[in-house]
Amino acid sequence: MHTEPFALTMAAAWGARCRGQGLKVSLKNLTSRAKYAARMKLFEFLGVDPHFVIQEHEEAGRFVPIRNIRTPADIRSVIADVSVLLHLDHDQEALAAVQYCVSELLRNVLEHSQSPDGGFVCAHYYSKSGLKRVSIAIADCGQGIAAHLAATYPDVRGDDEQALALAMLPGITGARPGLYGTSENAGAGLFITRCIAKGSGGYFFLMSGRAAYRLRRSRTAKILVDPMEENHDLWRVRSNWQGTVVAMEIPIDNIADFQEYFKSISDQIPRPDRKHRKIQFT
Amino acid sequence: MTTRIKIVSGTPGFAEDKDAARAIRVKKLLPALSEGKPVILDFRQVRYATQSYIHALVGEVIKRYGEPVLDLISFKNCSPQLQSVISLVVDYSLSGFPQQPSVSNGSTTATEPKQRNSRK
Repeated sequence: MHTEPFALTMAAAWGARCRGQGLKVSLKNLTSRAKYAARMKLFEFLGVDPHFVIQEHEEAGRFVPIRNIRTPADIRSVIADVSVLLHLDHDQEALAAVQYCVSELLRNVLEHSQSPDGGFVCAHYYSKSGLKRVSIAIADCGQGIAAHLAATYPDVRGDDEQALALAMLPGITGARPGLYGTSENAGAGLFITRCIAKGSGGYFFLMSGRAAYRLRRSRTAKILVDPMEENHDLWRVRSNWQGTVVAMEIPIDNIADFQEYFKSISDQIPRPDRKHRKIQFT
Repeated sequence: MTTRIKIVSGTPGFAEDKDAARAIRVKKLLPALSEGKPVILDFRQVRYATQSYIHALVGEVIKRYGEPVLDLISFKNCSPQLQSVISLVVDYSLSGFPQQPSVSNGSTTATEPKQRNSRK
């Protein structure tokens, strides 16, 4: 039975949070159909013995099992594994796009989530049937987006839908108000990763509290600044997710030159005199 | 006298460690520029970098000193991919991001990167 990475990371994050609170996780009706979840190491984070044997095939070329991220060194380790395990060495631009998104999204967790358990990440490279794509997911049980942004944007306190919409705009950071961010944060991470997903024809999913947003797969690479103007779904979910989940898909056959994503975003930056900056590239 | 700073990456060819970028900015870049000395940032060992890394490296410098500081900074051995990220950070550090729409009802702007396999 296949399970998408976002569900695996959510289960791992939730299980770790429960165990951190002294609770014990138990599973019912678990069958060998859950071997994929076992291979992705989900049950290790739940503290559950699945009572069936899995044959551990070589991971390379298929997936990055669930990892718990607590430090910048953990991020570097995952990024290195993305290169080794997904076998994208033949396609440097696609590899860079995946590494880029994993890095930016995990940095968000470490810097903003205040999650006592860190974040959980996994990835799967679907290379055999249909569209070749890499699916990435990152989940945490931290303070959530609304609580993070409310420190500087009080209007979003308690309003998860507004918080999601705001978080995906460029130049928004909970560090302090302003269009230009801080010395360490520009507030562009979610915007650029959304652009990469959209530009490659993949989906982008963001969930926090009682709201979930999905940018649908698209046949056009046109990027809109306002995520609510995109072709999307917005759900008000019944059960609160205390924390944040980000999942995205990168169809690797559609990754153009990596720099095109940044050029296209730069094209939107207002230049009163319409001339390019005198940057010295030597 | 020119200050030469070699940029290295934790992952081969991929610079994403913001803490390392911040350390370079605080310990080397800002002190040199505050004295009006030219600086060479040598990216020979880096092919890709995240926007967060470049922002932590030069974002504050550009905001503090404005566009004239670009005459003092030389970005050496940059791949086209790095040049595009640096250009983005320079642009928004000087001009901000596009006018942001209100969350619920705003105007939009559009742009379009190239895809390898155009599916239009």
